[in-house]
Amino acid sequence: MNHEMRSHQVEPGIAFLQLIGEADANTAPRLRQEVQFWLDQGVAYIVVDLSQITYIDSTNLGVLVGALKRAREKGGEVVIVSPSRRVVRLFEITGLGKVFAVYDSEATALRELRGNQDGKPGS
Amino acid sequence: MESPEVELSIPCAAEYVGVARLVVLGVASRMSFCYDEVEDLRQAVGEACTSAIERARAKHQPDSRITIKCIMEHDKKLTVQVADTVLGYNSRGHATLVGTDLDESNIGALLMEILVDEIQAESKPDQGTTVTMVKYVGRRSQ
Repeated sequence: MNHEMRSHQVEPGIAFLQLIGEADANTAPRLRQEVQFWLDQGVAYIVVDLSQITYIDSTNLGVLVGALKRAREKGGEVVIVSPSRRVVRLFEITGLGKVFAVYDSEATALRELRGNQDGKPGS
Repeated sequence: MESPEVELSIPCAAEYVGVARLVVLGVASRMSFCYDEVEDLRQAVGEACTSAIERARAKHQPDSRITIKCIMEHDKKLTVQVADTVLGYNSRGHATLVGTDLDESNIGALLMEILVDEIQAESKPDQGTTVTMVKYVGRRSQ
């Protein structure tokens, strides 16, 4: 199965993560580790690009929901950008589209998140 | 042949779920399902296999197996049985989605319910669990 994951820190407090190909139970532990890594680094905002995802299963969706909960505990957020057609369908039928903020591009998401950070006391 | 069948047996391990999905993709593609119907069925079967793997892991039964049986009926209906040999009671949960509060542990069960037209699960503590899913051509779920 083709699967790839890329991530980098955009700026202090914000990480970017892209999932490519098929994300299933076999690849979910790597996503869990990656998310854990960034949250442990003090990142509170994670931008997840799902534009190149052709398949994503419940274990990976569960990891993203768990990450969202942890990020919110730190006053942050996990947001989705450019979801593929398949992801849009799954978000519609599970209601995850109401749980995550979804943006059409990384630039739009970053603009929103920077606005959130600027609005915080002490930031 | 009235109802051709395809059967696959895989180890109850995460690295083989992709093989099960490939077989279902191949079988469903031989019928007149549209793209989304094939993808929905592929996803539901993947979720059923993942559920079996999680139970095998929780019950420390690494030698368990999963059998996927596809039954094609007149290019109208595809029945897929996902049978595992994980012993012990299987309490199949349902996802709860109220407002923006999601229980992430049962997204798989929710997907299976929604993505196929009919679903039935039978669990025998001394044999394992069989999930039977039916998808009709041209009747896209939700």
